[in-house]
Amino acid sequence: MPILEVHNIEKHFGKTRVLEDISFSLEQGQALAIIGSSGSGKTTLLRCLNFLERPDVGTISVNGDVIFDASDPSTQKEAEVRRKRLHFGLVFQSFNLFPQYTALRNVTLAKELLAQEQPDFKSRKKEILDQIEKEGQQLLEKMGLADRAGHYPSQLSGGQQQRVAIARALALHPDILCFDEPTSALDPELTGEVLRVIKGLAENHTTMVIVTHEMAFARDVADHVIFMDGGVIVEQGPPSQVIENPQEERTRHFLERYSNG
Amino acid sequence: MKRISKFLALMLSVLMLMSLLAACGSSDDTQDEQPQENEQDDTQEPQDDASQDGEGEAGTESDLAYVQEQGTLYVGITNFAPMDYKEAGSDEWIGFDADMAKAFADSLGVNIEFQEITWDYKVQELDSKTIDCVWNGMTINDEVTAAMAVSEPYCTNYQVLVYPADRASEFEGLTSLEGLYVAVESGSAGEDAAEALGATTVPVQAQSNTLMEVQSGNSDAAVIDVLMAAEMTGEGTSYADLAYSLNLNEAQGLESEYYGVGFRKGSDLVDAFNEFWAKAVEDGTVLEVATTYGLQDAVILE
Amino acid sequence: MIEFFQSPVTQTVLSALNQGFIVTLELFFITLIGAIPLGLVIAFGSMNRWAPLARPVRWFLHRRQREPGRFSRWLIALRPVSLITRLLVWIVRGTPLILQIIAIYYVPGLVMDGGTPWPRGEAGRMTAVCVAFIINYAFYFSEIYRGGIQGVPSGQQEAGLVLGMTKRQIFFKVTLLQMVKRIVPPMSNEIITLVKDTSLARAIALQEVIWAAESFMKGNQGISGIWWPLMFTAVYYLAFSAIVTMLLGRLEKRLDYFQV
Repeated sequence: MPILEVHNIEKHFGKTRVLEDISFSLEQGQALAIIGSSGSGKTTLLRCLNFLERPDVGTISVNGDVIFDASDPSTQKEAEVRRKRLHFGLVFQSFNLFPQYTALRNVTLAKELLAQEQPDFKSRKKEILDQIEKEGQQLLEKMGLADRAGHYPSQLSGGQQQRVAIARALALHPDILCFDEPTSALDPELTGEVLRVIKGLAENHTTMVIVTHEMAFARDVADHVIFMDGGVIVEQGPPSQVIENPQEERTRHFLERYSNG
Repeated sequence: MKRISKFLALMLSVLMLMSLLAACGSSDDTQDEQPQENEQDDTQEPQDDASQDGEGEAGTESDLAYVQEQGTLYVGITNFAPMDYKEAGSDEWIGFDADMAKAFADSLGVNIEFQEITWDYKVQELDSKTIDCVWNGMTINDEVTAAMAVSEPYCTNYQVLVYPADRASEFEGLTSLEGLYVAVESGSAGEDAAEALGATTVPVQAQSNTLMEVQSGNSDAAVIDVLMAAEMTGEGTSYADLAYSLNLNEAQGLESEYYGVGFRKGSDLVDAFNEFWAKAVEDGTVLEVATTYGLQDAVILE
Repeated sequence: MIEFFQSPVTQTVLSALNQGFIVTLELFFITLIGAIPLGLVIAFGSMNRWAPLARPVRWFLHRRQREPGRFSRWLIALRPVSLITRLLVWIVRGTPLILQIIAIYYVPGLVMDGGTPWPRGEAGRMTAVCVAFIINYAFYFSEIYRGGIQGVPSGQQEAGLVLGMTKRQIFFKVTLLQMVKRIVPPMSNEIITLVKDTSLARAIALQEVIWAAESFMKGNQGISGIWWPLMFTAVYYLAFSAIVTMLLGRLEKRLDYFQV
């Protein structure tokens, strides 16, 4: 059974249709790359998965449970949306770290807040908080940022900030980790360190959805590639097919333009 | 958040309502009425005083009863020697008006509070009941009688011209003030007199500020009440270099002015005051107090 | 110089000015204590998105199978709480504070049966002036807050949301401090202005420091015609605004550890 199933998603902004008939599925431990030009709807699709936008039509299922159904308001209750979001993690293009907290606190904050809702939090407070902090520290270590735990975002480079943001998303152990053009806001010489981290995650079979402009990276990392244009999926399949041997004219056109710069 | 917005909406509508009410209120000058029953009928004067307004809107409830119920008479004053003032180092209001006001409050069996006010708002102070009377050497004129219930006159006054003593020769015997910059209290009887005599007036906030104007040379002269001029100019005062002479009421061929105490329109306190004053004149209190403050010639004793 | 400060006139004047300045300080602090939280409530009011007619109008259009016209679009977009709040912001910021003080003190007494709702005497004046100042400053603060809140990038809110935080947690744990950092400089300006605006309270004869000083021009406690007390009040204002400026500067510095 696929971990993620998206069926027939449609989304309008006013009269503009930004997504139409989007369906795909993703297996546990696989990485999905979504490519396409600006305005093709790929970021909106990612935001739909994270409940930052509500699709007008369609369903989203995780592990076989329908967590969103546009035609069933009972799947859209605010209080439950909060819990459902936790199936997904999201790494933003512009990092969106909390500037007033250190790298470590950025990673641990959400987890602490969630822990406070546990019934036994009061009695085991210190133990729980210590555990969260230890995990945060380990995540930063994994990102190669062990010595940056006490730094504030403004004291970190863009690449370091993005790695903190990845650690922050991982801290909540999402089923599916989403990346929204994670290297687009970075200076070219800093993209490598972030891509390496994501690649490492893929090698550890983290389930991921990556919206990206880095074609070579998509080809290396992804198990499955979706090419979008004008709000629809033009072509999807393994990278060997979609990127190296595209069937559709529009895909070819996009890839050509892309490789020509 | 929703609860906050509901509370907010409620609060804001109350505010809106208040400002609407305010708009209606300004076009509607009806007398405030006392809601509480008056249970002291026998201590009271009859309401219909012929000297009062003919608008027929006089309060049907007793203002006297209101003050007695409150237990305190609030007297609106400004710092105005020799009527209402404080001695150096003292926090107590004294003066001819202040001392008589204390005696009046005694006769009503209530406490007294002196409240400094901004003179321009004396009518609003009375009508909104933040004070109960204006007792501060107030010259009786048309504006005052139109807006307040005014007592019988208790003191005479006229307007005088105050000028630098070293320029006295230029001012003595003048019958016209044309071409002169004359400081006056805004809205005072002095302003009317100065204008009538052709002066270019310089209105300031208080009579005493007019003296500052002359002292500093910003104005040529000032027109103020003779009582104040007597108290505040000449040797032994802060304005030793100023002098006064001209009786402007005479220069205009007008009668002297009179001081009265102002009450809320339609108030029965004015009758209580007149009765009190007549008794105080009779038993010599008025003359005694007036003499203390050097007003024995100005006070009306008949 | 020493003689000047030892003279009985100076002693009398300074003690009166001190008394007046205590009233000034009371007004200043009460205004801040009241206006800082009230401003936040007003800011939320002006940003409130409650649109009670949106659903019924959409439902009605849906039933009738009609496209929304200009009027129904207006009804859908109507946000009464926000609308009323912004109207009030306009009224309060668009009229002079001195007028508001006079209106708040006198108008209720002139309109209501039974006279003024304020306590009589000096305490009532103080209360009324405080209410006027709190309302006036709260509305000014609310606009600064609104700018501060809306100035925090929406990405911060979204980052909180995808991390499973509630809106409340996002406000208190994420946006509040960033907002505070943004509003400290404009708030400092307003607060320094408030130090000086307190002098407007003398419109209804509140005996603050300027009133006390002016009394010696007119004549008070046997002293009249001296104007240096009025000029001397500048010393009080300058000293106090120096302290306020220093404290606010410290606050700004304490928030320097991060950048927004």
